[in-house]
Amino acid sequence: MKVKVKDLKTKDKHIKNLAAIVGGARSILYQETDLLAYDCDGFTIHKHLPKAVVFPKNTQEVAEIVKYCSKNELPFLARGAGTGLSGGAIPLNGEIIISMVKMKKLLSVDLENRRAVVEPGFVNLKLTNSISDKGYYYAPDPSSQSCCTIGGNVAENAGGAHCLKYGVTTNHILGLEVVMPNGEIIEIGQDGIPDAPGYDLLGLITGSEGTLGIVTKITVRILKNPEGKQTVLAYFDSVEDGSQAVSDIISAGIVPAALEMMDKIAIEGVESAAFPVGHPKDIEAVLLIEVDGIAAGINEQIEQILEVCRSRNVREVRAAKNEAERARWWANRKTGFGAMGAISPDYLVQDGVIPRSKLPEVLRKINQISVESGLRIANIFHAGDGNLHPLVLFDSRVSGESEKALEAGSLCLKACADVGGTITGEHGVGIEKREEMRFVFTEEEIAAQTEIREVFNPDNLLNAGKLFPSPSRCVEIKQEMKTQAIS
Amino acid sequence: MITAESMNELKEFIREDLVMAGENEAHPFGNSGHAVVYPESEEDISAILKYANTKGLTITVMGGGTKRGYGGLTETTDILLSLERHRGIVEHTPGDMTLTVKAGTPFKELQDYLAKHKQKISLDPFWPEQATIGGIIAANESGPKRLGYGSARDAVIGLRTVYPDGKVIRSGGKVVKNVAGYDMNKLFIGSMGTLGVVSEVTVKLRPLPKCESLVLVSFPEGHQDKIQPFAVKVLDSMIEPVSLELLNPTLADRLTGQKNYTLVLSFEDVESSVQYQENFIKNILPEGTELKIVSKEEADVFWKKFYHHIPNGAAEITSETEASLKVGSVNLKVLQILKNSELLQDQFNVSVEAHGGLGHGLSQIHIRGAGKDVAAAVTEAREIAEKEGGYAVLKHLPFKLRKEVDVWGKSPSYFFLLQGIKATVDPKKTLNPNRFVGGI
Repeated sequence: MKVKVKDLKTKDKHIKNLAAIVGGARSILYQETDLLAYDCDGFTIHKHLPKAVVFPKNTQEVAEIVKYCSKNELPFLARGAGTGLSGGAIPLNGEIIISMVKMKKLLSVDLENRRAVVEPGFVNLKLTNSISDKGYYYAPDPSSQSCCTIGGNVAENAGGAHCLKYGVTTNHILGLEVVMPNGEIIEIGQDGIPDAPGYDLLGLITGSEGTLGIVTKITVRILKNPEGKQTVLAYFDSVEDGSQAVSDIISAGIVPAALEMMDKIAIEGVESAAFPVGHPKDIEAVLLIEVDGIAAGINEQIEQILEVCRSRNVREVRAAKNEAERARWWANRKTGFGAMGAISPDYLVQDGVIPRSKLPEVLRKINQISVESGLRIANIFHAGDGNLHPLVLFDSRVSGESEKALEAGSLCLKACADVGGTITGEHGVGIEKREEMRFVFTEEEIAAQTEIREVFNPDNLLNAGKLFPSPSRCVEIKQEMKTQAIS
Repeated sequence: MITAESMNELKEFIREDLVMAGENEAHPFGNSGHAVVYPESEEDISAILKYANTKGLTITVMGGGTKRGYGGLTETTDILLSLERHRGIVEHTPGDMTLTVKAGTPFKELQDYLAKHKQKISLDPFWPEQATIGGIIAANESGPKRLGYGSARDAVIGLRTVYPDGKVIRSGGKVVKNVAGYDMNKLFIGSMGTLGVVSEVTVKLRPLPKCESLVLVSFPEGHQDKIQPFAVKVLDSMIEPVSLELLNPTLADRLTGQKNYTLVLSFEDVESSVQYQENFIKNILPEGTELKIVSKEEADVFWKKFYHHIPNGAAEITSETEASLKVGSVNLKVLQILKNSELLQDQFNVSVEAHGGLGHGLSQIHIRGAGKDVAAAVTEAREIAEKEGGYAVLKHLPFKLRKEVDVWGKSPSYFFLLQGIKATVDPKKTLNPNRFVGGI
């Protein structure tokens, strides 16, 4: 039986009107018990209840919802699977959440022209799964790819282990349909044709963390599977040697598909979690190096990598014996963040990026931050492109530890910024790193960005309070974050 | 309008010998200035912009001048800002594979320098000796190897841009992965200098390939229907060509001496992989077509000719009128666009050299002939592009013709956003006025 608007158990006219747009009571959540699931995303330290969650089924409904919100001055934001790690989908202002999960169709695949069109709620890994039998895949592979949506990936400009060779989300987006904050629908990069005359709005909107518009259709580039793939695993007794090996591999002119590193504490985590592979617990660093491409050329590169590792005092180095072993190594690595749950009640993941050559220096600094804060910090990182993920381990039940963890995380980002790096490589700024934006940008540079936001989102009803520090409010919010983290 | 007085005022901000009077005669490609200034530093650029912006003067920005015929409806602005003396490498960190360079540095100079470190910038622009890195980025110029390596938006990781009011805005940074704030780099890439003057560029580098190979497959008359199936087969295979560029017969004749549609495949990898891919092509070669694996020396000659075959805004003026179009389409439509543009030769009594990437969807059509014929041919060429669902931009045309033929074509439906961005960053329209889409 169809659930109608009149079945709603509320007198709120906005809820009723929004329900009418999306076709009834089943497509809207408004009761506190239901809303609790939407009070945060993958960044769990900060929580706030939305006013309602609506589930549009198509672009037209999204546009109608947006128009309604805009007219009635209701703040709103879009949400995918809620896997974001920086709080981009948290309804700071009691927003109407526009959930994209019902817009999850794969609309078309054009193998000859190497493109596919998806709705924003379509799950990242499903795209690869849908075309793998024909020998194609979608390159960006965030660790959460089995549940995160491509719409969310566009908002955050998501990366992944294999973006070292293939680039991040923005390098794979050919076209977008966007509902503007006033409800107008625009199409950029029609049919996925490159270099449309005009400023590169595709590039600007990708990674804008849902503050410039709501993406309702995405044309992505798809790639042919590489003919061959091989992964090397290397154990080092010192982080310095591991880091040096990373530099040597790159300097040798090899472009690995992925080059990942985990330190001792991270290894302890992944070995205690769901996919242990038997990494020795007393080593200081493990490297996972993957090369892909024409099969005929892979062995030569693997030999070279083995040689580089040996010249850097590797304890043990070897190539995967078979696909199963290779898959196990990667499963072990990809669940790295979650694995921290096995060795610590809480953890906070950071996302700094540094010039590769500064790796040993920054790791020393992070170690110092760990010693000074009294908190353990694990390091899992995309070593090839200098993207570090320090994982600050803490126990929120211990008074003051959450504060310390936030502080330590921020100091790690400062360490990255101080060597010419940046505060986020793939997770986004969101709520979490608003203040840290000041580590890398001047007031003037931040203003240059917010001025661009005003062109798209003049009333700032769409996902307000994200990405940029707000001079008047930042102190209070930082305080609030700490209070909530402790509670 | 700039006056002798403002010329003198300018000299208060930058060294006297860096300010000169403009040419007396109007330049055939327009985009000139009554005064020409040659800033040597970012501070100079900032001072000039701030002065002009305050005084309501207009500025044309130029690097090597190769794109002087690319857009622009002002024959002579107040100031021509030449970046040719703002050049040189700021920082190269070989281990990080990043390079920071001043915008006025010629591209070839950079590649030659990087080659010593076995590295390169993964762009392959035309006229590399003259084209500057800043100009390449401002015009979003790319070549056939875009298939393998992407375009400026994939290579640029950081910019320093001087805004019209003189402030310097950094975007991106020096790391290869960065999502802090909006990706402002993208705004300036391809913006034709209408938002700010890029003063410094940071790019990520690639290693020089250990082995390179050039394979030409030509399709004689009567075998042209085999081009598409062959290209599809290549694209659907495991091989990874860095370019899959189709040349029309006229261009193939100039570059290879054979007047046939010719596919240019290049492979760059370790030797074993390159050889494997050459063999793969040999094995799927359609009947009646000819394959040539070009020796290293010959390949160098081929590429050199290729990167110098298009009209150049900085070259001596010839009696012939030259035009270039950049056409964007769905990848495989490139073939139809090339075929249809071939017909323009007889129809308008012009010569047409054209090439396009079957793996990336961009074609370039170069038309030469008498002024009137060229004007008619480019209009028709745009219709060809639009008929295939694509767009055409006139990337080279004499100033006189630019007033007759629309350079950018139809403005997009979201033009109000482009206008909004321009109005926010350059409200007084100080920089490159009317150089871009819809008169921006």
